[in-house]
Amino acid sequence: MKERVGLFQIGLVRGLIGMLLGVIIGLGLVSGIRALLGLPIWNPEAAWVVAGVFGTIGFMLMVGVMRDWIKWALGEETPDFPESDPRLKGLAKYLSVSYDHKIIGIQYGVTALIVISLAGLFAIIFRTELIAPGIQFLQPQDYNTIMTLHGIVMIGGMLLGVGAMSNYLVPLLIGANDMAFPRLNAFAYWINVPAVILLVGTLFMGGLETGWTGYPPLSSRAPLGTQWFLLGVYFIGFSSIFGALNIVATVMKLRAKGMTYFRMPVFVWTAAATALIALTATQLIGLSFQLVMFERLFGMAFFEPAKGGNPILFQHLFWFYSHPAVYVFVLTGLGVISELLPVFARKPLFGYRWVALSSFGIALVGFLVWAHHMFTSGMEPYLRVPFMYSTLLVAVPTGVKFFSWVATIWEGKLSFETPMLFVLGAISIFLLGGLSGPPNGVVATDLHLQDTYWIVGHFHATMFGGFLFPFLAAIYYWFPKITGRMYNETLGKIHFYLMLPAFYVQSLGQMQVGLLGMRRRIADYDPALQIEFSQLLITVAAYVIGISLIIAFINFAYSAAKGKVVTTNVWRSRSPEWTLLPSPIPAHNYTEPIEVVGEPYDYGLEGAVYVRPISAAPLREGTEPGLPPDAAVASAD
Amino acid sequence: MFRNFNRSTVRVLIASNHALFRHGLMSLFKKKMGVKVEIVGEVTDFESANQILETQAVDLVIVDYDDDQLNREDFLTRFVGGGGQKRIILVSLSNPESAMLYDRRELPLAQFEAWFEGWQAAGDDSAATMAGAVRSKGKNQTRSNRMKHFVVAGFLVFVLTGLLILGAGQVRLLPIAASAQAQPIDQLFRLMFFAIAFLFSLIVVFMLYSIVVFRRRKGDESDARHVEGNTRLEVTWTTIPLIIVLGLSFLGARSLADVERADPKALEVNVIGMQWTWRFEYPRYGIVSNELVLPVNKQAILYLSSQDVIHSFWVPEFRVKQDLLPGGEEFVRTLRITPTEIGSYKVRCAELCGIRHAYMESPVVVVSQADFDVWVAQQTGEPTDPVERGRKWANQYGCLSCHSLDGTKLVGPTWLGLFGSQVKLADGRTVTADEAYIIESIRNPGAAIVEGYPNIMPANVGQDLSDERIQDIIAFLKTLR
Repeated sequence: MKERVGLFQIGLVRGLIGMLLGVIIGLGLVSGIRALLGLPIWNPEAAWVVAGVFGTIGFMLMVGVMRDWIKWALGEETPDFPESDPRLKGLAKYLSVSYDHKIIGIQYGVTALIVISLAGLFAIIFRTELIAPGIQFLQPQDYNTIMTLHGIVMIGGMLLGVGAMSNYLVPLLIGANDMAFPRLNAFAYWINVPAVILLVGTLFMGGLETGWTGYPPLSSRAPLGTQWFLLGVYFIGFSSIFGALNIVATVMKLRAKGMTYFRMPVFVWTAAATALIALTATQLIGLSFQLVMFERLFGMAFFEPAKGGNPILFQHLFWFYSHPAVYVFVLTGLGVISELLPVFARKPLFGYRWVALSSFGIALVGFLVWAHHMFTSGMEPYLRVPFMYSTLLVAVPTGVKFFSWVATIWEGKLSFETPMLFVLGAISIFLLGGLSGPPNGVVATDLHLQDTYWIVGHFHATMFGGFLFPFLAAIYYWFPKITGRMYNETLGKIHFYLMLPAFYVQSLGQMQVGLLGMRRRIADYDPALQIEFSQLLITVAAYVIGISLIIAFINFAYSAAKGKVVTTNVWRSRSPEWTLLPSPIPAHNYTEPIEVVGEPYDYGLEGAVYVRPISAAPLREGTEPGLPPDAAVASAD
Repeated sequence: MFRNFNRSTVRVLIASNHALFRHGLMSLFKKKMGVKVEIVGEVTDFESANQILETQAVDLVIVDYDDDQLNREDFLTRFVGGGGQKRIILVSLSNPESAMLYDRRELPLAQFEAWFEGWQAAGDDSAATMAGAVRSKGKNQTRSNRMKHFVVAGFLVFVLTGLLILGAGQVRLLPIAASAQAQPIDQLFRLMFFAIAFLFSLIVVFMLYSIVVFRRRKGDESDARHVEGNTRLEVTWTTIPLIIVLGLSFLGARSLADVERADPKALEVNVIGMQWTWRFEYPRYGIVSNELVLPVNKQAILYLSSQDVIHSFWVPEFRVKQDLLPGGEEFVRTLRITPTEIGSYKVRCAELCGIRHAYMESPVVVVSQADFDVWVAQQTGEPTDPVERGRKWANQYGCLSCHSLDGTKLVGPTWLGLFGSQVKLADGRTVTADEAYIIESIRNPGAAIVEGYPNIMPANVGQDLSDERIQDIIAFLKTLR
């Protein structure tokens, strides 16, 4: 007998109802207080901000993710290991609160794909507008809204994708059964849902016009939608901080026996470096957005020069997070590249320690370069040259990665299944992104490039190469592990061979029109620039990328249900999740503890073992801790 | 060689059937080694050696190679397959020089096998000499092969670099350079494009070469050569990029100094940005203009400021860019430009500033000194006709960036047929657009908002206009029927 799951048992449904209730309560509360104070009842700014906050709280309460914490506050007992509602099966399980890091990872991943597609759709809309000079169908105000949403929703999507990879993989790769704080993990995922709803809700609240950077004074006088934009980013920040905290604790405390830091799979190094950035920098964007919110709500003047504020201050606060955030997006992706290359090259990762430490090198230098976004902003001119030096230093640890990757595949025995194709594509694209960096990092040339489409091309190359291609590689690579079924190789290859050239056309086109005078974030451009043809190519390339992703989604959905069943170590990987676990992985991962007895990437070293269950160790009674009796002669004098 | 071990104590396993071998070596170790040595075991048979290897963290294994009872192949296979950083010494007492070191961190399995076979085949000959010969023979073979790959790929790097540079030459990449500041910047751009072409080729060629040459053959399930890394290479490719980026930063700083070189006699122009237009004031001549007119080959210093949000001054042909900040005196920023080419350009706002950001463009005209003088003379003499004056003020003060003259709907209501018409306001009133209405709308733009338009006209527009000039504008409005 199959028990039917009631609609209201599904967490997401309850959460959405909670959000609606919260919004209504928030609106009522503000209007009620204003009525009591004798003020005009309707103040949209205050009412909608409070509604957004209450809506988010309502969602989190009703979705059930704070259940155990509330019980603790009331002094009630809860089980040591939190379990999700056992009645939930199949899809309902994924739409409700779960504490299993793998389910949370999948929740992150699917949400990431949905959110990224939505952001991509925004891009397709305004790329269509830019297909020719003049206004085709999108008025400048709507253009600004759609363009801003493309940016910020994509950033949310990328953070979700990073969360997906680190949540699903880190515990598996270090031989742990779950994350250090499963409840916090669930909270960090679920808060993204109301946050994304707030961001998309801005569409119906007068839109946005500031770009994702939200510079005041423009943002302090832009339409009402700006408030929910600021609020949405603020809540996504919670997710980053809690998620990062969890990764740091998990990596520090839950590694399997024998897994020293230098024996961790290199992806774990990048996840840890990413987490350190997110844990320490996210506060700054939260703070700067909160200050703008307060400017608008209470008339405070942090950045409004007319009232004694300073608009440059915002830019410092903002970029102090938003530059390291770039490495939050890309380091995880670079970790996937380093993790997958040895498997498909059948060769150890070249210079493991250098690759591992270069991630921390990038993360640390990344904190010292933020003002290179501000060379033309009007900050103190003497700051520009030191920030140019620090910026270009990032090239050094990044270069170590590129050279080590090439040395890894050199004289390897390469095979080219879809994940490997995406990894190789990622390297070439990230290379383009990296090499287009120094022209913007050097002050003199940046005077021309700042705020042009060159920058747009540069960071799209960085994001596609550092995040999107590796993310897709990871999905294809771990797809059999996650679902127990194989994706369709032909569709995977079609996806790749459409997306890679389309990407190059798009990014190189953006760089070219930028050099020629195309500014960022403009709804229309001067035909005198003679860039129509390039613009047309960029738009067509964007369509092709969109189509290739639709093919990928069809592949994922079809293969998850109907793909060939695979349970073995399809890639002949040495990693613990492939060598020691069945596919799909049961709850609580490793039924018996494992130990690390070798190096992670000893491909080509016959008989080398990386991990094994502790019980499989050939220990005999009496051999530990002392020496075997027949061999123990020496050490005593 | 023991200096390289990570631990302070070196844990040693000695495998030999001869007690003399074991004890001799042991006492030798105790005497001669600077590091602390702990002998974790002496073994005479394969089984017990294995047990120790499994259970103890052994750093160094010494094997008596002359001992026939030791199953060397098994022992070594087992050893090679283990984890951790171990080293092994094979010692043969039948020849005084035949101590061989096998370090599993440095010597790949394939090479080891070649070497091992060679040693076995050598028989009675001097093991060391023979082993050395085989070792270098095996190495030479693979090394020459490896060098071949390396040389071919290296050659292709230069081919691709050349092709990329040729290709980039066929594409339009930069607008003409029309200022003295553009020269050092474009020089740096050229240098960077070369460097990008080379570095892109360097990585991509080695990748593509690997993809083509080192692909897995069908049915080949074996792994590749076990190479873990090479510290010397890593140091090289850390150091060289470091030197390159420091050099590039240095060049960048030098170019920046060239770009900012100041001429004390520069022509001063105040550039005021507002949503969504530009105003240019020449304090020396008392001119206010909506186009930036500059004499060629004379440095102009622009004092940039904004009346509302952040804007950015950029003429692509001049290459340099600077944001305009609101906030008055304290936030005025400067930009120096020395135009070198006579012609018409456009200043384009480069910082998102709201709805009509894309259209915040104004003409920039570079003229000869003689033409500049003529222009100054024209501008300083005021037209006698109030209508012409009104047209001039409407242009200069940026009115026309939001109000059209031909009925087009921009951000503000059109001026065509405005004067004397009935205007429906957002608060429901209908008023006649008479003189008083026009004056109020300029002086206090928020007071009467036309239905269907946002309340975004900056209040300070009216503060800069004198009563006389507003009268001129009204005279101009009356002609727009």
